[in-house]
Amino acid sequence: MAKISIRNLTKRYGDMTALNTVSLEIDNGEFLVLLGPSGCGKTTLLRCLAGLETPDEGEIIIGDEVIYSSEQKIMQPPGKRNLGMVFQSYALWPHMTVRDNVKFGLDVLKTPKAASDRQLDEVLTKLGMDHLSERYPSELSGGQQQRVALARLLATKPPIFLMDEPLSNLDARLRMDMRVELKRFQSEAGATTVYVTHDQTEAMTMSTRVVVMKNGEIQQVSPPGELYKQPQNTFVADFIGMPRINLVELQGKGQVFSNGDITVDVGWHPKAKNVVLGSRPEDLTISPDLNAVGETYTVMAVLPNGPETIIQLQKGKTVVIGRVGHDSIFESGQEVRVAYTQAALNVYDADTQALISPHNNVQN
Amino acid sequence: MSFISTSSGNFSNRFGRAMRDPVSLVMLLLLAVLAYLVAWPFIQLVINTLTWGEGSRRISREAVPGEFTWFYWLQVTAGPISGKMLYGPLMNTLITGIVSTVLALIAGGTLAWCVVRSDMPGKRWLQPILTLPYILPSFAVALAWETVFRSPKVGGQPGLYEAFLGAAPPEWLSYGVVPISITLAIHYFPFAYLLVAGALATIDSQMEESALISGAGKLTILRRITFPVVAPAFVAALILTFGKTIGQFALPFLLGAPTQFHTVATMIYANLALGLDSMAYVLAVVLIAMSLLSIWLSNRFIKKKSGRFETISGKGFRSREIALGNWRWFVFGVVALFGFTVGILPLILLGAQSVMLIDGFYGLENLTSHFWIGKSNPDIAGGEPGVVHNKIILGATWNTLKLAFLSAVIASIIGIVIAYIAVRRASNPLAVLLDQIAFIPFLFPTIAFGAMYLTLFAEPVGPIPALYGTFTLLVVISVVSRLPYSVKTGITAVTQIGQELEEAAEVAGASWGRRFRKIIMPLASSGIMSGMMVSFVGVMRELSLIILLITPATRVLMTAGFGYAEEGLTQLTNALVLIVALLTIAGELILWKIGKGRMARLREKQS
Repeated sequence: MAKISIRNLTKRYGDMTALNTVSLEIDNGEFLVLLGPSGCGKTTLLRCLAGLETPDEGEIIIGDEVIYSSEQKIMQPPGKRNLGMVFQSYALWPHMTVRDNVKFGLDVLKTPKAASDRQLDEVLTKLGMDHLSERYPSELSGGQQQRVALARLLATKPPIFLMDEPLSNLDARLRMDMRVELKRFQSEAGATTVYVTHDQTEAMTMSTRVVVMKNGEIQQVSPPGELYKQPQNTFVADFIGMPRINLVELQGKGQVFSNGDITVDVGWHPKAKNVVLGSRPEDLTISPDLNAVGETYTVMAVLPNGPETIIQLQKGKTVVIGRVGHDSIFESGQEVRVAYTQAALNVYDADTQALISPHNNVQN
Repeated sequence: MSFISTSSGNFSNRFGRAMRDPVSLVMLLLLAVLAYLVAWPFIQLVINTLTWGEGSRRISREAVPGEFTWFYWLQVTAGPISGKMLYGPLMNTLITGIVSTVLALIAGGTLAWCVVRSDMPGKRWLQPILTLPYILPSFAVALAWETVFRSPKVGGQPGLYEAFLGAAPPEWLSYGVVPISITLAIHYFPFAYLLVAGALATIDSQMEESALISGAGKLTILRRITFPVVAPAFVAALILTFGKTIGQFALPFLLGAPTQFHTVATMIYANLALGLDSMAYVLAVVLIAMSLLSIWLSNRFIKKKSGRFETISGKGFRSREIALGNWRWFVFGVVALFGFTVGILPLILLGAQSVMLIDGFYGLENLTSHFWIGKSNPDIAGGEPGVVHNKIILGATWNTLKLAFLSAVIASIIGIVIAYIAVRRASNPLAVLLDQIAFIPFLFPTIAFGAMYLTLFAEPVGPIPALYGTFTLLVVISVVSRLPYSVKTGITAVTQIGQELEEAAEVAGASWGRRFRKIIMPLASSGIMSGMMVSFVGVMRELSLIILLITPATRVLMTAGFGYAEEGLTQLTNALVLIVALLTIAGELILWKIGKGRMARLREKQS
């Protein structure tokens, strides 16, 4: 079966460490998204999996077979790893027709002609490309080229799909449609999928789990919901979510923390004096009624954005962002009461930037 | 490709993998072959100048064949014959080189400005005519010159000049510095033209317009803005053109040898003809040194200046043509007349000469088709039959086409493989080395390169047979001499092919051989095809590269023509050179067609 184990993988380019002892277990049939800012190592990790880059240290195991091991000196070439890949640029061969592009992989596998033809027709029909099979890639639209790349991946029925930002060259509307379709083909095929993107919406909507990376290291591996609700450190908290999470550094003892401007009661006893509080904009309750719970802030800016409105709030030197429904009416300069939803607050140790929860609440 | 070995250590690990990687194997193989065909001949040449030769007992009593000696170098640089052997030819080379370079640059620069920056009419037609002299064999212009200015003082029939003016032309106009410099300039001005035109095309006319607004006149703009900006390209063109002129052999030989006027290049040939091989090799080393020096200078100059003068292009780049006003048609007339005189007139002269029964006698009754279609006649040209019945010429034509075709195909394929290695394995120092070795033949003046192969393949070495006198040797040297160009075209072609296209095939499991055949070759084919055609034409008109290696059995059109010229059978020479010229032009036209049709279509597909 196509379960992937990555153990202590390290890849260096000269002085730069692109991957630093990365370990990861990917389950059979999982849709795993590698997410992170550019240069975080996500594409390098994918290319190491594909065999297009040779790591310096570590081990990669697919199913029961070791495909890379620095200790055993094993490096299987890409073609022997039984996987398919969609490239960011699609990498369609411009001198071959759509059909020949898709057929290439079958030819390499020496598939008999009858079976090959049947498989080709099947995959082209499934993707709605059968009427374009004699065209050249340059004669196709961006979306159609995308489908050819996908057809090429599906034709040989590999148990593993690798995708390197496959939707980044499409326009916004098409991207949305393709997300649905990609997901459908993936679950139909039951292939273990590793998908690289820097678009968090893509990551959140498609994945079973998301891996957030930074500077060649894994920051967090979680299902998308958990990633949003409980970011394991301030980097992940800040990276996930649009508009960004509010991160405010506060000091205190016991339950109540303050920075001189604002004071927040977290509702339990984190064992740290300096903390960073994280609160998503939608977890702020903003009320024009100055007798409501919370503290009084001044509205600095009101930014309507379709279904929601973003509000910038200030108290002293502290600035936070709130998110309210489009029917709420606020004005710049207005005084409002702001309260933080206690259950949704994340507390980070200001020294380590790591999440402190009631479960791992130990003094360090 | 799992490798399970117990050996530890990074090196053996990497080495083991390298041995299994076909690209590395090809790379090592090519490195070995090129080291033998490019680097070793040069070393061998130098060694030859420093050891006593076989027949050296005749020259000196102290000679011990095979032993080290400074004798040849001392003879050439300080001996009693050094003036005749080295310093005289060296001066001649420098003078003709400098004069012709200056002339070529003035002509090329002016024409480039007219074509690129002015609104002169008829550019589309003039441009190919202006590059014609460079496309034709250099030999052709020299022959045409001789047709006009031949002097009966050196024997033979009078030229057109004497026939029309009644008096023999002064000798300085027939042979020596003046005709050699002028004909060299005619052959090389298109080279300077192309270089300067390239630089001029990068000028943003807004630079000139802002000067115009400041109140500067047209001439001031030209002097203060335009010229300084193209100056680096101009100087680079100057040095490169000079470097090319000094390696010319056939042209100075034809217009200099009759009056014992020698350049270093012709002296190499003369020495070899006299059996003074080692002396010739010393001169070859001198010539190579001159060529290296000029290319090194030009590179240094380009590096130092180009950064400073780099024009900021990109946004808002505009190139406006400068209005010549009423002068438009006058300028057109002058340029057209010049183009005709240097590009077309020589061909007409050669053609006319080749149908004259008695050379130098101008009249309708003297016209004959003998030299083209006549059978052998002992009264004419020593019994040499005309072109279509001449076994030597027919054989030479076949050899020429065979040589040009084989060399072009082999050079292009090796070129694309080297280019692939250089581009895709750029981080590997051996790949960089391979790229550099492939460029070295560019630095050797062709006649010196021929001299190297003469020394290298005279005797069998290990498993390599003595190739001297074989057709194979001609193919080998032609391929190697074309490599700098074919690698360059290959690199352009490979760079345009995205890495991902190949990786996609790699993921699909295609081996390197399959990827190269199915992905790289088809996508690079348009580039390779045009490169092949350029090589085909280049090899076809090559003379000085192979003149030292040719034997009667392996004659090609150019060397056969040269042979007839030495025998004084001018009509046949002219006919042959005309054939080469027409074949060359045909090749260029095909190239142009490929460039217009096939390449444009493929480019579109790739974008």
